[in-house]
Amino acid sequence: MSQSLAKECNEAKERYDTCFLKWYSEKYLRGVSTSNNNECSALFNEYNKCLQVALKERGIDKLLDEAREDFKENDAQLLGKKKSGYITARWDLVTRLHELAIFAWDYGVVSRAAKGFAALTLVFLLVFIPVERLATREANLNDGLMRVFWPADLPRSDLRGVVVGWRNSALDVFVLAILEEVEPRNVETALKLGTLTRYAPHPVNRIYELCGQSSMHVLGLSNHPESVEVDPSWIRVTTGSTRRVPAVSCARASSIQIILFDRPLPGRMQYISLNPIALALGDKQGSFRNDIVEEAEEKEERLRQEKKKKLVEKLKQHSIIKRTPSPKEKALVKVVNQINWAWELEKLLQKNVSRIGTRPRRALSVSERVVESATTLRDIVWVWLWNLMTVYVLPVIKRLFVLGLMAHRVAAEVLLTVLEWRARPGYAALKDISATAQQVEIRLQQFCYWPMQYVTLRLRKNDWESVTTSHPDYIRFYNSLWLVANDVIIGIALGSYIIDNADWVAWKISDLLSRYTVDALQSSISWLMGWPAGLKLNGELAEFLGDLFLWVIEYWSSCIETLQPVLPHMIWFIGFSSFAGASMPIALFSDLLSILTIHIYSFYLASARIYHWQLNILTSLFHLFRGKKHNVLRNRIDSCDYDLDQLLVGTILFTLLFFLLPTVVVFYLNFAFARMAIISLKAGFDTILSFLNHFPLFALMLRIKDPGRLPGGIRFELRDTKDFRHAVNDSSSSSSLSTSTSVIQLKSIPLNFKAMFHQYFQMGQRIRKHYLSPRVVLCLLTGKFVPPLNRKNLYSLQYSMLPARRAGILDMWDAVNSLPTPKRKVGPVWWVPSTLGNSGGGINGMAGGYERRRVGRHI
Amino acid sequence: MLTTNPHLYIRRPSPTTAEFTVTTCPRLTIPLRLALLLILLLRISTITAAITTIYARFFLDPSSPHVQPAASPLSLLIQGDIFPLLTHALYTLHASPAGQFLFSTLEPVPSWALLLSSSAAIYVALFAQLHTTESLLVLRGLGIQTSTGGGGVQRARTRFIPTEKIRDVLINEAFRGFEVRYYLVVVVEGEEDVVVVFPKLLPRKKIVEAVWRGVRGCLFEGEGNGMNGRAEKGHV
Repeated sequence: MSQSLAKECNEAKERYDTCFLKWYSEKYLRGVSTSNNNECSALFNEYNKCLQVALKERGIDKLLDEAREDFKENDAQLLGKKKSGYITARWDLVTRLHELAIFAWDYGVVSRAAKGFAALTLVFLLVFIPVERLATREANLNDGLMRVFWPADLPRSDLRGVVVGWRNSALDVFVLAILEEVEPRNVETALKLGTLTRYAPHPVNRIYELCGQSSMHVLGLSNHPESVEVDPSWIRVTTGSTRRVPAVSCARASSIQIILFDRPLPGRMQYISLNPIALALGDKQGSFRNDIVEEAEEKEERLRQEKKKKLVEKLKQHSIIKRTPSPKEKALVKVVNQINWAWELEKLLQKNVSRIGTRPRRALSVSERVVESATTLRDIVWVWLWNLMTVYVLPVIKRLFVLGLMAHRVAAEVLLTVLEWRARPGYAALKDISATAQQVEIRLQQFCYWPMQYVTLRLRKNDWESVTTSHPDYIRFYNSLWLVANDVIIGIALGSYIIDNADWVAWKISDLLSRYTVDALQSSISWLMGWPAGLKLNGELAEFLGDLFLWVIEYWSSCIETLQPVLPHMIWFIGFSSFAGASMPIALFSDLLSILTIHIYSFYLASARIYHWQLNILTSLFHLFRGKKHNVLRNRIDSCDYDLDQLLVGTILFTLLFFLLPTVVVFYLNFAFARMAIISLKAGFDTILSFLNHFPLFALMLRIKDPGRLPGGIRFELRDTKDFRHAVNDSSSSSSLSTSTSVIQLKSIPLNFKAMFHQYFQMGQRIRKHYLSPRVVLCLLTGKFVPPLNRKNLYSLQYSMLPARRAGILDMWDAVNSLPTPKRKVGPVWWVPSTLGNSGGGINGMAGGYERRRVGRHI
Repeated sequence: MLTTNPHLYIRRPSPTTAEFTVTTCPRLTIPLRLALLLILLLRISTITAAITTIYARFFLDPSSPHVQPAASPLSLLIQGDIFPLLTHALYTLHASPAGQFLFSTLEPVPSWALLLSSSAAIYVALFAQLHTTESLLVLRGLGIQTSTGGGGVQRARTRFIPTEKIRDVLINEAFRGFEVRYYLVVVVEGEEDVVVVFPKLLPRKKIVEAVWRGVRGCLFEGEGNGMNGRAEKGHV
């Protein structure tokens, strides 16, 4: 219970309150009391009197009277009988409000509130309004740009149409098709119900998944008069047969980018991509590095790369603003996919246009029925024959073929393990030593990879044509097939020539061998044994070395003599092997060359070793001559006190060796040159091999035939907008004048030739780095052994067409068996009158070809 | 007269799309057009002369007289027999007084020198460029595209960089010979090398700055008109 307004009345109020509450809760609420004269009225009067006096004293009674007047009407209506009780409660409220008002006045709340209000207004004026203005301006900026992707080869017509496509974000639209003479409302419902994508040859979800949108939308209207009300986010397009670029306007856009593109034809496997198509399989950079002993130049390369990476890191810290990309910028990858899909989707939509809305249907005439049943009968016979073939004959043939393939695969596996066998990890396998083994290995690997590739390509048929992921695979597969076919064709020509002229070829080879590897060497050695070019060499040493080499050469030539009768047979064998491809005899010749010149190799090794030792001894004796020595522990030159006899003997030895040096040098140079000649000859063979095995012939032909199939990126061209301005002006649309429009043409860049031969450039660079580096020249000069280039390095080119790990036998078995069986043709159903008109037929023949085969659906 | 200092053209059909072209080609006046036409004619005549000399020296057999083709050149053209038509045309060129004069003056030159010089002449006539034109296309929401070269028979080489990949666009300075050049650089995300805009011309600082402001204003949303920008200097 609250205190009364006047303290003197507290007692009376308390009594009255207690009584009132008792009456209120016990009688009134239970409906017992019906009369106004309840037992508390006497107490109330008492309290009232007391209060009146108090109020009069304070001068509030007048105020109160006014308030009462105000409430009287309401009270009379609402309360009726329970007036007195209500008035009491109201009275309490009013008094308390009054108390509060007085309290507030006493403590200056009003002025404080006024101050607060003023401050808030100030803040609002100074901060919120400018911020809000800024925000709206920003919003206008962001929303002002509308981007429209428009297929330049879309059929142009003057008819009214509905523009359908993808809406990537609010003002970023991608036009797929213009559906003519349909109601936009109907199109929208059709898109929602999926009518427009009905009878798609493949799952429709795949489209949405790859295009990154959950549904197609109605984007706007074309060639509709201005008077037609449209959604503000829709675009209005004016096209026509005379107009190259459509005039686009949108209520929400302040500036418009129209991006025209030519749709790639998926049926011809054209597509566009942001990055150049990869002709080589790029999955084995890592595995290649691991097992190669890192060489000096590679180390250098690595260090340079690391340095560069640090620089890039530094640059990253210098960039000041980190922007979050807008949805338009993120959409680019999606848009590329949508462009690739544009053709196929437009065809699908146009095919289904006739299903939109209700249209009158009619039954077939008698003559049409006759034709229909005749074609149906023919179809039935045809399908029966086809089923006979697919059910009984084909599976048997297929099974036999697969079994044969698997048998070959097992044999290939065995051979491959032999070729790849290493006595110890790190040792050279057979394929690292011999070119023939390498060639056989490449062919076997290709054989193992082909079925897998084929299966991938076959699965492509079960998907939409616009899925472009397997196109590089396609090019790789047919490139390798074509190269092998070429190889075999050239090989047959070469082989038949060699077999026909085996004797002559054998004679020629033995002649060449004896002339260059025996006679020429002998004559050069005997030339060196005399005083060559007026150089006075040490006669005794020259004679010793010359005799030594001559004796070995003689022995070797007798060996070759014994080989002579076998040579025609070997040549015949080589010729025969070339039926497996021209690369086989080349590889065999390369190996034969290394076997038959093994003596030159050993001479080179021996002379290089002698020369190197002598040079080493000379350097250390030179240090002794100067009174210094090489400190091995610190790896530096220290001064040293030699004894007199040490110095004497050392100096004598130094002079001796120094005078013998020229003799050794000429012999060394002789063999080094011979060795280099053989290496370059073998490099020539390897180059021919790499061309036969890897030349991007298919890609090159495609580039000439249809550049659209080899995308190398995209480029944009800003079109002159003069003619476009004109077009906008005459379109009599006032809104499009205010929006500035830019027309951009998107084009695909075909892959350039440099990228096609990228691998060759890489290999050439690697060879150049290996053989023409100053390190190699230094090796040659100091007589150190020049290591031949690792075969694996040289052949990385050819392996770029093959996966790093070949698929196992079981994988192949699974893959081959997972091939889908050819679809059984469904037999036509006899035409039944009751099915007549259960589908929405088209008004014209647009949906023709596809539909006509299905009996029961009529056009 | 034929070339000028590099100068800037801006095409900006809408505030969100702009093409900045730096070129050494002066404004096309009538005398300049005539001169360019003359140069084109000179190129064509050089190529024709070079091909005719090669034909006369290496393919024409002086001992056997030239047989006139049975059909007239027109009918050959209609039938599509390119090879006899070409031979005929070359022979007529060779037999003309100018061709004969050329043939007789080049008589003492050895074959290999003739072959080398005429192929060099063909190459120069086909690929030599009078003007250098480089451009930068900025499309808001898409990205920027640099293009270099073009002219003669080659197409311009273009490089498109999506906005998502652009880390920054800035002006850098570098020593080149004895001068300091300011150049526009695009820093591309995930790439080791920065992309230099206008790499061949490397225009003056004024032009570079104008292009930089334009790119900033055009490319990035919410940077207003970009006039409040400041030139950044980074050392790469």
